[in-house]
Amino acid sequence: MDVGELQITLDKLYNDAQCDLAATNSLDELRSVRSKYLGKTGSVGSLMGTIKDYPPQQRGEVGKTLNSANKAIQELVNEHTERIGSAEVAADAATSTAFDPTLPGERSRLGSVHPVTAVQWEVEAVFERLGFTIEAGPEMESDYYNFEALNIPQMHPARDLQDTFWLKNGMLLRTQTSPVQIRAMEKFGAPLRCIVPGRCFRYETIDASHENTFHQVEGLMIDRNVSIANLIAVMKLLLNEVLQREFEIRLRPGYFPFVEPGFELDIACLICNGKGCATCKRTGWLELLPCGMVHPNVLNAGGVDANEYGGFAFGLGLTRLAMMKFGIRDIRVVNSGDLRNLVHPERWAGPVIVDKG
Amino acid sequence: MLISVNWLRDYVDIPDSVDVRALAERLTITTAEVEGVEQIKTDAKGLIAARIVSVDPVEGKPNLKKVELDLGGKSANVVSAAPVLRVDELVVFAPPGASTAETGKIESTTVADLPSEGMIPPGSAIGIPASDKDAIFCPPSMKPGDAIDADMLEDWVIEIDNKSITHRPDLWGHYGIAREVAAILGKPLKPYPVTNLERLGDKKLPEVPITIDDADRSPRYSALKMTGVRAQAAPLWMQTRLGHVGLRPIDCLVDLTNYIMADLGQPMHAFDGSKIDCIEVGLANDGDTFTTLDGVERKLSNEALMIQSDRKSVALAGIMGGLESEVAEETQTILLESANFEASGIRKTCAALGLRTDASARFEKSLDPNNTVLSIQRFVHLASAEFPELQMASRLSDAYPKKLADISVQVDPQHVAKTMGHPVDENQMTDILTAIGFGVESKKGKLHVSVPSYRATKDISIAADILEEIARNVGYDNITPQLPEVQVRHFAANPQHIVERNALRAFCMGLGYSEVHLYIWYDEDWLKRLNFKPAAGPVLVNPAAAGQEQLRCSLMPGLLLAADRNRFHAEAFKLCEVGTVFKKGPDSKNQSRHLGLISAKRGKGGDDGLFAAIKGDLESWAWQTLGCGLNYEHASKDSTNPWTHENKTANVVANGITIGTVSVCPLALRKNIDEHLSAWSIAWAEINLDLLHDFKVDSKSLRRVPEYPEVEMDFSLLIDAGSPYATVNENLARFDDPLLRRVTYVGAYEGKSVPTGKRSLTYRVLFGSPERTLAEEDVNAVKASFEKHIGGCGYELRR
Repeated sequence: MDVGELQITLDKLYNDAQCDLAATNSLDELRSVRSKYLGKTGSVGSLMGTIKDYPPQQRGEVGKTLNSANKAIQELVNEHTERIGSAEVAADAATSTAFDPTLPGERSRLGSVHPVTAVQWEVEAVFERLGFTIEAGPEMESDYYNFEALNIPQMHPARDLQDTFWLKNGMLLRTQTSPVQIRAMEKFGAPLRCIVPGRCFRYETIDASHENTFHQVEGLMIDRNVSIANLIAVMKLLLNEVLQREFEIRLRPGYFPFVEPGFELDIACLICNGKGCATCKRTGWLELLPCGMVHPNVLNAGGVDANEYGGFAFGLGLTRLAMMKFGIRDIRVVNSGDLRNLVHPERWAGPVIVDKG
Repeated sequence: MLISVNWLRDYVDIPDSVDVRALAERLTITTAEVEGVEQIKTDAKGLIAARIVSVDPVEGKPNLKKVELDLGGKSANVVSAAPVLRVDELVVFAPPGASTAETGKIESTTVADLPSEGMIPPGSAIGIPASDKDAIFCPPSMKPGDAIDADMLEDWVIEIDNKSITHRPDLWGHYGIAREVAAILGKPLKPYPVTNLERLGDKKLPEVPITIDDADRSPRYSALKMTGVRAQAAPLWMQTRLGHVGLRPIDCLVDLTNYIMADLGQPMHAFDGSKIDCIEVGLANDGDTFTTLDGVERKLSNEALMIQSDRKSVALAGIMGGLESEVAEETQTILLESANFEASGIRKTCAALGLRTDASARFEKSLDPNNTVLSIQRFVHLASAEFPELQMASRLSDAYPKKLADISVQVDPQHVAKTMGHPVDENQMTDILTAIGFGVESKKGKLHVSVPSYRATKDISIAADILEEIARNVGYDNITPQLPEVQVRHFAANPQHIVERNALRAFCMGLGYSEVHLYIWYDEDWLKRLNFKPAAGPVLVNPAAAGQEQLRCSLMPGLLLAADRNRFHAEAFKLCEVGTVFKKGPDSKNQSRHLGLISAKRGKGGDDGLFAAIKGDLESWAWQTLGCGLNYEHASKDSTNPWTHENKTANVVANGITIGTVSVCPLALRKNIDEHLSAWSIAWAEINLDLLHDFKVDSKSLRRVPEYPEVEMDFSLLIDAGSPYATVNENLARFDDPLLRRVTYVGAYEGKSVPTGKRSLTYRVLFGSPERTLAEEDVNAVKASFEKHIGGCGYELRR
């Protein structure tokens, strides 16, 4: 092939490359077109290898011709690289009906804490912000801590079989978290601010609103000038924070051997807002937590000087609070271990579209 | 307990302007919880008393009677459905034109083809629902034709929660409630109406001999013998009030004792005076039997306190009288008992006999011993109006061997105000206390408060009790809430709390576990399905149900039960419980807090994957909360429980301490539970959280990025399948070279290209120097040296 023919061949190749490149839509296609023409074994590339076949005096010109053809095609490639690049950017930015950004995410299985634990943590958080420490105590408890030290005399009805789970080894299952009042006083002395979340047990027949195994949180504050006004303020704060609403509360006399005076704290019924309904037995109030000023005998049992220190204590039913907060109607689900009852279906199964209860 | 407002009005002026519901609300706030308020509205008009002249059957209608009535000057014939109608007695009658809310207007009509000129209304129509269909009989003091006072039939009834007055013996009667109402309204309490027996000259009469063997159980016993009583109806006002508070009117004598019980809270008992001359109070003998007036023969223990007469038991003290000595139709003489019994003895006897009565419920509250005499005086006061021939046949006899001590409490008014967090002055305190019967004397800035006997039996003994009296009468709703001023104090964190919260956070909020709470006792039926016989742990005396005596020593049986429940509704799930497990022995130390995990997935053969995953979860938790990794020791089969796998079991080791076990559920166990579980894979772990209290996240454990580049190489070792990972690690760890920085485990592989009987373990080795960049020769040399070490250990390199 003489130089003239070579030029014609190259012009044709240039035209072919132009067509091929125009048809490319991706950088991958572009790369294969490029190597078809410019690669070592490509159309132009392989012609490069023919330079040595030309007579020496022609070799310079042939080389120049091939180089400029090579360069021209490379320029074409560059143009199209840019074309495809910006097309890709444009395509990426273009809206597409195939993509729905509102679909739910794909997630690994979510775990869940028990509803009682969830409420317990909220209560803990409130009291931690008030500088209370969080204590714990044993579930298998002695008569001394559960009753005697709490000013519950030998013959008190609370000690009857009908209220307490007794063990053959002489111990019992604590009927309340209050024994930890004594344990905490023994450990820290006064002043003291602590809460004690934990499980309690009462020998009781189980039905939709009674369980023999439930959670309470005990609260104890001992200092030099603790008043009933303080107790009311702290209880109000606690309930407003945990239930996320402003509530009316009321205090009325209640009798518990380990406090004097003792109170029952009621909140305005959550269902009817205090107007009176079946849940609150038409009274407008829900009995929520027993509380009171710590009895001097209890302070003394804990080794705290009742002449110098006083304080308040309360026992909040966490299970009850969790039921109120999460709308659990039957207390029996709490210890069932049945996740259908304990975990929000959306958490458990994924997005819920229709929920009719 | 039901309280009639009409009854209260005997003792305190309640202005008509006072809304009963509002009053009840105040009662709740200051005294005792009111459970309900009900208005009794009978709307009775035109009712009269009528004497029954004759009662004849109605042919073919066994439930109806033809009754002729004397209406005072005229007569009437009615057909009545009242079950009991006695000739000559007076009944409440509704002549034509009369009306009540329940019956509507009464008209002359025809019943069973007979003319019926009016109606003998049932008790319910006039507010005595306890009497049901019965006619209401009138006392002999009334005459035929007398109009029935309709006003006394209209009332309000306040229901007080019994639980809220268990510590207040004084509130078990209307007079005590009236005292509180008077204080609330700021009105005076009227004196309790009684008859002074001394003025009647009772001292001239003989004494009823009373012997008390056990003064602790029976601190006081008062008695009075009376003649001239007879069977007759109680006055209508009394029947009405009894009806309003839920007591069924029976007969004047019985109604009188019931009335006083509801009035003063003091139970009384009327014996037939012809059968009893003397009283002995003492304990029964073990095995004695006694027939109470309900006709039940009861077996007694030597803890039961008995009333005897001539060594013959006549009453179960404070609980119920005997059948034989009960007053009867023909009784004309009664011996009236009004006694004080010790509370806990009564309660124990009631519990032992399974018998509780209105009387025992009151004695259980520690009654005021002064009420024994007061109630007898009250009885005479009320009875003399009903029985014109009433005469005392004895003096008021009173054995009082164990006197109630006077209680006086000293309070500091400033301390009271401070503890309330509310300004109250001394005068206000004195007024409040005086209104509810306390005596107050101010001396040198202190109040000396004397406690009335009706509050002194157990209720009030210390200054805090007096504070309560003041505070509740000020009204807790009048106290302005005020956050406390405190002394800041640091409390060392409770490690149990921290460890548990961290575990739940890690597993339930990060690793996909769902927390469950399960019972702390085993269930025998479930253990049978597991084929598990637990080691002896604490045992309940009174289990919630038969077969639930044993406290758990592991969380796994409960978690397996929960897993078995959830398998119906999920293809895969992970459960977690933090709870207490127990060991035998009477010490609160014999219990620990455990973490239990179960990971279950439908499908056979997933054990190994779940086992590896649950270990991975444990390691994530350990790094997040304990600041260390975990090691595993191949554990030998634990033959004590069926949920541990023969071979696929490891001890979980943290910082050299064995903290728990991880394993998979053997097929044998899964089949025992349910055949369907053979198609599931279950891995589990149980960790003793108590062992983790001292773990601290090491804050110095982060390393510096090396100054000179390091070289990383992977080595895959072919080892005998039976050779454990831990041994390989030990061998690799013996390689010592100054350029070796770190060896980490990458993974294990068995399968294609690994010969049978072998396993491939891949390690990543990091070489480097803190002083220089390694040259190629350095790397080659140390690599060769490492490979030589591997060979020396007897491992082959997989190429």
